[in-house]
Amino acid sequence: MRVRAITGWGVVSPLGVGQTDFVESFSNLEQARETAFRGPTELLAETAPGAHLAEVWDWDPSRWLGPKGHRTFDRLTKFLIVAAGQALAHAEIKRDREFLALGPDRVGICSATAYGSLDAITELNRIAELEDPRYINPTRFPNTVINAAAGYVSIWEDLRAPNTTIVDGNCGALDAVVNADLHFCRDRADAFLVGGGEVLTEPLYVAMHKLGVVAEGVGAPGLHLGEGAAYLVVETLEGAAARGARVHAEIIGFGTSFDAPESEALLVHASPRAVEEAMRLALTDAALEASDIDVVVASRSGIALFDAAEETALEAVFPESTACVAPKRIFGETFGAGGAMNLATAMAFFEGAPVGPLFRGAAPARVGHALVLTAGFYGNVSAVVLRRRD
Amino acid sequence: MTRVFVTGMGVVSPIAVGVDAFDAALDAGVDGAAEITRFDHEIFDRHIACEVKDFVPRDHLTAAEVRRTGRCAQMALSGLRQALAQAGIAPERIAGPRTSVVIGTTMGEANVLGELEAAWIHRGDGVIHPARLPRYGTTLLPIHLARAIGARGLVQTLPSACAAGNYAIGFAAELIRAGRADVVVTGASEVLEKLQFAGFARLGAMSPDFVRPFDVDRKGLLVGEGAGIFILESEAHAVARDANVLAEVGGYGLACDAHHITRPHPEGVGSLQAMRSALETSQITPDKVDLVNAHGTATQANDAIEAMVLGQLFGASRPAVTGIKSMLGHCMGAASAIEAVSCVLSIQRDSAPPTTHHEQCDPGCDIDIVVGAPRAMRCDVVLNNALAFGGYDAAVIFAKLGVLPDLSQAVAPLEARS
Repeated sequence: MRVRAITGWGVVSPLGVGQTDFVESFSNLEQARETAFRGPTELLAETAPGAHLAEVWDWDPSRWLGPKGHRTFDRLTKFLIVAAGQALAHAEIKRDREFLALGPDRVGICSATAYGSLDAITELNRIAELEDPRYINPTRFPNTVINAAAGYVSIWEDLRAPNTTIVDGNCGALDAVVNADLHFCRDRADAFLVGGGEVLTEPLYVAMHKLGVVAEGVGAPGLHLGEGAAYLVVETLEGAAARGARVHAEIIGFGTSFDAPESEALLVHASPRAVEEAMRLALTDAALEASDIDVVVASRSGIALFDAAEETALEAVFPESTACVAPKRIFGETFGAGGAMNLATAMAFFEGAPVGPLFRGAAPARVGHALVLTAGFYGNVSAVVLRRRD
Repeated sequence: MTRVFVTGMGVVSPIAVGVDAFDAALDAGVDGAAEITRFDHEIFDRHIACEVKDFVPRDHLTAAEVRRTGRCAQMALSGLRQALAQAGIAPERIAGPRTSVVIGTTMGEANVLGELEAAWIHRGDGVIHPARLPRYGTTLLPIHLARAIGARGLVQTLPSACAAGNYAIGFAAELIRAGRADVVVTGASEVLEKLQFAGFARLGAMSPDFVRPFDVDRKGLLVGEGAGIFILESEAHAVARDANVLAEVGGYGLACDAHHITRPHPEGVGSLQAMRSALETSQITPDKVDLVNAHGTATQANDAIEAMVLGQLFGASRPAVTGIKSMLGHCMGAASAIEAVSCVLSIQRDSAPPTTHHEQCDPGCDIDIVVGAPRAMRCDVVLNNALAFGGYDAAVIFAKLGVLPDLSQAVAPLEARS
């Protein structure tokens, strides 16, 4: 892919809303973990009483969106709008919903989620099953389509360039990088919000719990569920330079691989081969050697099968000394937003946040190149290489 | 930059399963509308939909595939097998990292989720078998197809509501042009589900009987289902294996209305931009377009705005316009993919399918609508138009081989951007 500029980013996470809280969290990982998993879930108190989930605590969208105009938005939509607003402000493209640079026709969205409409579908299915399908609120029905949340972001921020929603399980937000790249090749926009979001929902918790992968307590083995949203503002290098934008980092490589299980009967598949191939393709695309990478922001989520596959691939590709971090330890597994949260983690390292939580190698004194990785549950893996700009 | 060719197609639709049968059904003006059989509809004031009839998954899928898929993926897999057969290509030949799969949908395996949730809501989570849970994921649509052919490149779902087919086909072609793939399996699939039906009923968007695009007496849409799947190949890949090229995929255009989550922009700003962009990226002027496959949902707002935008874009050149949702119903995420199959058939046959049930044109829709019977006409260039919830707009150009200029040339805008 061509080198692309990152001129801003925004994040909504269990560590807080906004860059500052997110970046500072890496200075004290134990405290960050306690912040994210600070108590029994309030959001899913009925479904998962006592469970410690990394939810966005004390979420008050009015603080960010004002008192009106978002009544019919679901939680994901609100997360995305807040993250988008922050990213656009950081890039000095918009502030308080007013354009400072570019314009509505030249800013688009490439946004990922894996289970984005699940909550809305469940809400309406419940009404249909327990009451009457004729009682379905028509203003809530659009939330059942997966692209609705990103559509609302365009409406809220008046972004009329292409809006693409991407689903590739845990890999979607990294795949969004290549979607934006190809749109740039056709001059479809000057800037894209690239990232995604996911929210904790009752059906998602129930499903993961039934699958037996959810950790039985903070620090216990298994998946620690989280939620959040993050967007990068991605521009062409020429476009960013032309408007005098500060470039915080560059996207310099992308790789993806899919490897099916050998057994016809299986669906879920952890593939070291796909992880290794995605990383090697991203490195080749970036014209880098593995030894050039200062930190790998890994997909590691606590599911032993997938963590082992990833570790096997990391050993095959990277020197023993390369720092590998597992940020999901502090903000949880966010599925379709996982790539976006990992990209935000890399941005935090570029801004000087201490490198952690480490599970392999040693923290570098300075992060110049980061490889961001996400592995899906079906043998799908994607990787992106970022370069710091001073 | 390479040209991108359609070398195989497959279709599962409310009027036929299989490309040849679909072609014949379009020609005959077969109506896919019938009383709903897949769920209880008595409580609604609408009872008609466009279901896929006589679709037997085991006719197209292995037993293992049937076990691990829902109806949405099953229709897509059927489309894939048909497309491979038409392309004359064995899966082993395209297995590997240079083959990708990009599939559109609106709600994916909505029926799997509906069944799971009904059981959960009424009987608690104890009745949910863990083995059934992974079948829901929208992620799985392209993965099932990738597994069937051994594709190891990008696997991606583009859930772009009712424009999903165009989103997927356009992006798939761009992947090939950018050199990221030699072959991409693309298209879209959608299953008819009670929740969708109820939602459209509550929006007051559904017709009680027929779909009458651009008719003065149009009464709304009918919900449908199905899949349209394509094999796209780079020119070099197709030439190397001496493939039979069905059509070339030209450029595509996307835009977002940023206006309303369900209603199109009243001035059609996004739709106009998407169609303009499709022409620009195809390096053609509006007068080169022979036929437009309209979104044509037969809702009051859509048809009036779409006709207005077509008038603005094409002016005096007035291409023929067809609205085949009159036969297919609105197959949601699959709509523009199934209709893209029709576009390619028009190119092959130099014939436009009719807009059935169209009796009296809405005076506000000043376009050249193909009505009554198929129209024999030159179909060198066909534009496939789609709009969607979220304000999504997408248009794709298909063309006869040798008609489009070399798309590797720089993109020249038709006019300055507004």
